[in-house]
Amino acid sequence: MPITPMEVYKLLPKTNCKKCGEQTCMAFAFKVINREKQIEECSPLFEEKKYANQKEKLLELLEPLKEATETGLIVDEERCTGCANCIVVCPVHASEDPYGSGSGYGPKIEDPIYRLEDGVLKIINVKKCRRYGKNRILCVACRENCPSDAISFLEG
Amino acid sequence: MPLEFSKFLKKLSVEVVVGRWSFQVEAMDRGKFSDEFIERSAVIYLTEEFGKANGFKEGDVVRVSSGNKSVNLKIMFTDVAPENGAFMPNSIYTSYLSDFSNFKRFNATLEPTDDDVTKPEEIMQKVLSKI
Amino acid sequence: MHVCTGCSCLCDDIDLKIENGRISRAYNACRRGAGIFLNISSSRAKPTIDGQQVDLERALQKAQEIIQDSENLAIYGLDTTTLEAQRLAIELAEKKEAFIDDNSTFCLGDFVEMILKKEIPSTTLEEVKNNAYVLFYWGTDPYHSLSRHLSKFTYYPRGGKRQRGYEEDRFLVVIDIRKTHTAKLAKKNARFLKAENDADIIRGFIDALEGRSPKIFQKEIPRILKEMEKGGFNVIFGGLGLKYGLGGDYALLKEMIERMNERSEVYFMPAGCHPNMRGFNELLFEKTGHVNRYSFREKRSSDDFAFHRLLKNDSADTALIIGSDPLNSLPLEYAGKLSEINTIVIDPRETFTGRVAKVTIPSALSGVESGGTMIGADGSRIELNPVFEAEINDEYILKKLLEVV
Repeated sequence: MPITPMEVYKLLPKTNCKKCGEQTCMAFAFKVINREKQIEECSPLFEEKKYANQKEKLLELLEPLKEATETGLIVDEERCTGCANCIVVCPVHASEDPYGSGSGYGPKIEDPIYRLEDGVLKIINVKKCRRYGKNRILCVACRENCPSDAISFLEG
Repeated sequence: MPLEFSKFLKKLSVEVVVGRWSFQVEAMDRGKFSDEFIERSAVIYLTEEFGKANGFKEGDVVRVSSGNKSVNLKIMFTDVAPENGAFMPNSIYTSYLSDFSNFKRFNATLEPTDDDVTKPEEIMQKVLSKI
Repeated sequence: MHVCTGCSCLCDDIDLKIENGRISRAYNACRRGAGIFLNISSSRAKPTIDGQQVDLERALQKAQEIIQDSENLAIYGLDTTTLEAQRLAIELAEKKEAFIDDNSTFCLGDFVEMILKKEIPSTTLEEVKNNAYVLFYWGTDPYHSLSRHLSKFTYYPRGGKRQRGYEEDRFLVVIDIRKTHTAKLAKKNARFLKAENDADIIRGFIDALEGRSPKIFQKEIPRILKEMEKGGFNVIFGGLGLKYGLGGDYALLKEMIERMNERSEVYFMPAGCHPNMRGFNELLFEKTGHVNRYSFREKRSSDDFAFHRLLKNDSADTALIIGSDPLNSLPLEYAGKLSEINTIVIDPRETFTGRVAKVTIPSALSGVESGGTMIGADGSRIELNPVFEAEINDEYILKKLLEVV
């Protein structure tokens, strides 16, 4: 389930103190979700005791963001059976590794986006993914072909 | 209160479909006498809607009976179970409950129980003592 | 590169990292396959007699005695071992005029038999990858049983005439009684048919092929047939759901495939199961004209010689079980008899059957510690490439047993 800016906002001080450099707490919440700002930049949250409870909840809420890669690609290994549909269907793999993963084999290039390790999907080089970077596009090929929802994207 | 209420739930009749479950096969390679094997094999899968509609929640132990045979299994939810039925991964538990005429699909009843999940050794005892 | 013996896919692109004599990492194997390579030392069988651990020599000796004294020997299992070992088992059965049966009797032996007898056209997975357009998965859930099937051989890989990927160059049809994980993949260029009755669906296809409106799936069946014609090369993978759904009566299935072939090429393949089930079927077929349930004494095949029947009817006084665990996979009302007769279990791991056996002999894991050849579900021969080479493997043990016959 993607984490929404509203969920983050609800746990912030909501004082619009601007100490983080943003005009409003809501704006800060958006920047945290996009990983343009770190939650630690809200100093009142970390310095004032009255926000201790909210801080704990926020850190817990934002935990998956830590694990998520730059594209927001999260693999739930518990759900993965190692079917490799994602590896073979990936359009980047098809074009860069046509005789390897493009043809159904394990990747033959040194740095695929991901591959099967010990029976489950392991992310290797996410920078190659089309969802990453300035010219990113909304490719969902891997997630669409994972029947057990082992792949999810943070931004939904 | 909910625990006492469950004793009054009627027996639920379902058709159980038997199939392969990758996570259970993995447990077999780790050891058929391990706790992990029991965890992955002594289970009966229902869809969440069907399970909840019949008063079950994930983790409940139920007595699954087919004919004069029964075992205690843990309820788990999955969206790939038959809509108004159940799914079990094939293992000693399904081999005990079914026979060749209904090898992949058999009828069973489910009812709540306070007992623990059945261990494979208990099934073997039941089968061997009959001889 | 090593070969995985987890299922009949026999994936031959498994990369392993070996550190300090142990496999520390497996690349490209699915969860099941990796489980085999990474858990080599789990739950390994020990040599036992009457449940007590003994020396391997002692256990082998006892097994030899039992085999020598047996009058009605039944050999069972064999689908997880190599052709080389299967040949020895068949030789042993012949010399002892014994019964021999493998897992295929309650698995997909029927389908393999139809293919070997050329009653139904078949092809190889390589051909499927390069040519197939419509892919049927009928009564099988490869996501769990043959995890890399769709990504390595059929729906997703590009090859030959199918270079454009699954969205344009494949059409997936999943037929099952429930919406399995595999069925969830039938999205765009695809159909999921929820099957209450497989025979009715087959009749629906035959009706449509004869120009009549099918009684069920009135839109889907004609659409699928149209796609098959467009594709020119199509394949039906049949699984246990189809076998048990049809109750062993395949006349309609054969008729449907024959009719389909009038419009375009349609091949049938057993979806797959044990790694070397087809190997045993082909060896026995070559020798006797039958794929399983054979008696070397009566020189014929019969349902009465199916392993579970032999147990039920008390037709065997000794059971030699190789690489299989009937107490796990056969209905227990028959399997329980194994504790009554002289049962010898040859297996690398501890099994339920091993617990009630007279003698257990630990063997080697095929493909990991022992080499040889296996035949995949499509008839392709694959040469194993083990990481280690254990001396005590199925071949060694069977040769020992043959010494006394």
